[in-house]
Amino acid sequence: MDYKAPLETYSGRVAEVVIGKGEKAFKIGGENVLPLHFFEGKVENRQRLALEVLDSEPKTWTEWELKPYAGVLADPVAWAKKCLEMGADTVCLRLVSTDPTDDNAPADRAASVVKQVASAISTPLIVYGSGDETKDIEVLTKVAEVCAGENLLLGPVVKENYEPIAKAALEHGHCIVAQSPLDINLEKELNVKLLKTFPRERIVIDPLSSALGYGMEYSFTIIERTKHIGVMFGDATMQMPIIADLAGETGKTKQAKENEKQGSLWESVTALSLLLAGANILVLRQPESLKLMKEVIDGKI
Amino acid sequence: MVLIGESIHIISKNVSDAVKERNPKVIQDLAKSQTAAGADYIDLNLGPAKKDPEEVTQWLVNTIQEVSDLPVSVDTLNPVAMEAGLKACKKRPLLNSASGRTDSKESMLPLAKKYNTDVVISVLTDKGCPPDVDSRTESIMETVALANDMGIPNEDIWVDPIILPVSADQKQAKEALEFIGMLGDLLPGVKSTVGLSNVSNGTPEELRPMLNRTFMVMLGRNGLYSAIADVLDKDLVRLNKGELPNIVNLIYKVMDGQAIDTGSLSKEEQDYVKTARVLLGETLYSHAWLES
Repeated sequence: MDYKAPLETYSGRVAEVVIGKGEKAFKIGGENVLPLHFFEGKVENRQRLALEVLDSEPKTWTEWELKPYAGVLADPVAWAKKCLEMGADTVCLRLVSTDPTDDNAPADRAASVVKQVASAISTPLIVYGSGDETKDIEVLTKVAEVCAGENLLLGPVVKENYEPIAKAALEHGHCIVAQSPLDINLEKELNVKLLKTFPRERIVIDPLSSALGYGMEYSFTIIERTKHIGVMFGDATMQMPIIADLAGETGKTKQAKENEKQGSLWESVTALSLLLAGANILVLRQPESLKLMKEVIDGKI
Repeated sequence: MVLIGESIHIISKNVSDAVKERNPKVIQDLAKSQTAAGADYIDLNLGPAKKDPEEVTQWLVNTIQEVSDLPVSVDTLNPVAMEAGLKACKKRPLLNSASGRTDSKESMLPLAKKYNTDVVISVLTDKGCPPDVDSRTESIMETVALANDMGIPNEDIWVDPIILPVSADQKQAKEALEFIGMLGDLLPGVKSTVGLSNVSNGTPEELRPMLNRTFMVMLGRNGLYSAIADVLDKDLVRLNKGELPNIVNLIYKVMDGQAIDTGSLSKEEQDYVKTARVLLGETLYSHAWLES
């Protein structure tokens, strides 16, 4: 008797989110199956890989993390272009200069950098504020306004500041990253609150991505459960694509700082794990991990 | 369902201050209001009762008995306080609680026998709370067998499956429901009780009653005999008395997996439906569970 593989069909589907405008745009999400279950249904859109760009020179990166970007570190536009030359699908621009505990740069200066980068590159753009929940209101609403119509992916939006930022993103035509602190119940709560005024097709979930050896299994489980609940159980409040913003967390670890090979592998293994869990966008730092993840996604490994 | 009023609890600042000052008014007001609200027992939760356990417990039991004829549920982990409390009780008390923990088997169960009380026996063991129906069953069978050997009959035993907060471990609600549903077959004649409000621990204060009430109805349908609960919640008491049959039937429908036309329901009815679905694990819990 012929073997027939048992196949599942699912009641839910991850929302398809379009980031960027016009020809630059790409789509993420849209799958009606569990992560990478190509054999059971349709994985509408491939996972996307982003490289990080900082709006001021990195202060804590190792020598080998800095090396690939030598010469462009002080110029976010040139840095972003360099990332795309290396094969990134998009760039995650971090407005670290706005951090009140650091340079505390004003919102309009950060917004003008975002505008320059967004205009200069041929792909959509992800923009992360410093993560200071109060300052981010000022910074991200300004970015939304200055870059109106660019359809950026803006974040992080958290429980404490989602209202003003989501309002600005809605008004000026952007997508948002909904971030919760490694807790699936809080993740859902934020989604429920956002969905009252904000369309599901413009939200990407950031559950926080811990590094290998530093709680990665928590991130893995939450991403996996989010997909289960959205796709298998059809919970519409959990059907958004997921961004795994992992480079910063892996870069911080002792192991990643020890040597180049280990540092690159630490990032790659974390990225691969979260990809398997169901992440739709991976934010990376090292060109080596980018290359490896690209080969994985394209089915060459 | 037999309701045990939970409000005299040492964690409450009013109560702990009143105990320190030996001020009977706060304690007696709580005893009176719970009696008037329809409680069947007054729970006296002393926690570990480290300081002057005998004197404090006796004073509290007597203070309560001055204003209420209800029996007292003496709720402490300290066997010295427990014995003093049981001695002071005029009506047959409830020993709350013994468990499968070694210290509890050695110090609490003998007191239940000695003072001929009803006794709550929880499924806790030396390893903590058993995570599923099977391990809860294993624990309770062993402890009840021990109690029977000591001469405590099933009819005097109130089994507590341990309720955990739905905001922390959502699937435990269903495990407790299943366990209560099986209990009558496992141990014929035993009664049961739960710390009902624990299901909503960690949930925003104003939303807690909805979880407590819904869970009470669900557990009641599966045969729960009693609950330590917030009897000052009027709707909880009304539900328990059968005064809100439409809500009860709606919750039963959710339990039976029947289709419900939510569009035709009032906001309150919809809230009960959503809450029952959360407790059954059909929708993921969040603090905003009533908003989607």
